[in-house]
Amino acid sequence: MEYFQFLVIILFSPLVNGVIKKLKANMQGRVGPGVLQPYYDLLRLLKKDMVVSTVTSWIFKATPYIVFTATATAAVIVPVLSTASPYGMMGDVIALIYLFALARFFMALGGLDAGTSFGGEGSSREMTVAILVEPIMMLALFTAAISAGSTNIVRIATVHPAVFSPSHLLALTAFMVAIVAETGRVPVDNPDTHLELTMIHEGMILEYSGRYLALMEWAHYMKQMILFTLAIDIFFPLGIAQSGNPAILAAAVVVYAAKVTGMALLMALVESTRAKIRFFQLPSLLGGSFVLAFLSLVTHIMMGK
Amino acid sequence: MKSWIEAFSIIDFISVGILLTAVTLNAFKSIESYVKAYTINSWLLAGLIAVVAVLVGETHLYIAALLTLATKGIIIPLFLRRIVRRMRVTREIQPYISNSLSLAISGILVAVVYASLKEGIFITGFSKNVLQISIAVILISLFVMITRKKALTQAIGLLFMENGLFLAGFSLTFGMPTMIELGVLFDMLMGVIILGIFVIQIKRAFASADLDKLTVLKG
Repeated sequence: MEYFQFLVIILFSPLVNGVIKKLKANMQGRVGPGVLQPYYDLLRLLKKDMVVSTVTSWIFKATPYIVFTATATAAVIVPVLSTASPYGMMGDVIALIYLFALARFFMALGGLDAGTSFGGEGSSREMTVAILVEPIMMLALFTAAISAGSTNIVRIATVHPAVFSPSHLLALTAFMVAIVAETGRVPVDNPDTHLELTMIHEGMILEYSGRYLALMEWAHYMKQMILFTLAIDIFFPLGIAQSGNPAILAAAVVVYAAKVTGMALLMALVESTRAKIRFFQLPSLLGGSFVLAFLSLVTHIMMGK
Repeated sequence: MKSWIEAFSIIDFISVGILLTAVTLNAFKSIESYVKAYTINSWLLAGLIAVVAVLVGETHLYIAALLTLATKGIIIPLFLRRIVRRMRVTREIQPYISNSLSLAISGILVAVVYASLKEGIFITGFSKNVLQISIAVILISLFVMITRKKALTQAIGLLFMENGLFLAGFSLTFGMPTMIELGVLFDMLMGVIILGIFVIQIKRAFASADLDKLTVLKG
């Protein structure tokens, strides 16, 4: 059972996105599409023909597969329901961040490859956000790693249920801001529009269609769910199964579903109550979050917990 | 109750909250959020004193917590808000240093304080971390005072510094006698009122509360 827990992320990540959309619509007084809509979208895109520009190189065609595979590999590393994961040896938080970086690098290349101005714009913005977000994630995760004595996610999730301290609260806040930026949500990017002034992620994948677009979108949903799972594993792992016992696993499924729904609710709340901020003001938001992450590390070193 | 406080390390949480409100001061532009940050800071300070009062069980600490809450948590913020409304100036438009840079510098200040006070020179009664945090708060508010231009933001920096000093004194001595605390609080209240009147007079005389303009001769 615990050998296949990464399938939870791969199969249910579109559902999580659908739930966020539905919650957001309800908060804004709309009915909104059903929670299964992302699946229909993916199915439709998979059936459609592709239009590929004649000026593109092999990078354009390889990018969707690389992005999807890198993100799926990241999904394997993260313990979802049980810490008795046999893949824990495969990699730690640093490997995870660099798998995301690999996917992002190729996505930016794919955006540039078709030679359209929107693609270049999206890629340039994405890289600008990336250099601001990566150190925040690193510092926040290092705070957790130092207190657990290991950068291995399975180990952190095993040690952490008993740990709760000010430095974790600071790291969690910084990490949440990083998640919002990484998943392209409202204060940083708008996931719903194709306006040239606002789009970051949508700009990069504008040239993709059909099967390629389906892979890119699916990878994006997966990345979002991996980040939620990572936050859950590291900051509130209470309830995660420590063994492969079926009863405990069933309880872990319920707890995990509740936590992910909580995260989805938080994201919908942030998206509904905040306005998108100007791109050139992003450094002050992310800089503030970086200082939080830095303070969490310093506080942890000072207080020793 | 006591075991709860120790189990959830509530003192650490509150003191980190106090530090955080001081750090966020560097990120704000509008003066109203300065006042809000000061209010939260004072409430946390009062909460910390109350928690220590529960731990130690001394009556005069309960009184100190109540007094802090009343003056710093309620009266001074109300007064500051009135001044802000009367001044009709809501923004610190151009601090000498940009917000993100001053955030970074305050982060470095905290790290320097932690590094230099790492070995507990002063052994305090209820927590070994509060002294470091209070000194970090003092330095950050000093930094805010020297990098802002408006008289009111500088005044709020001064108030923050007073909170930091109070916290430092409190962490070393478990609170001064009630008479002295009463005197200090009363002094501060008077100081804020005088500062408020002064700021409004500056504004009336120079048509701006920007302290840079005070260096220009007026004939």
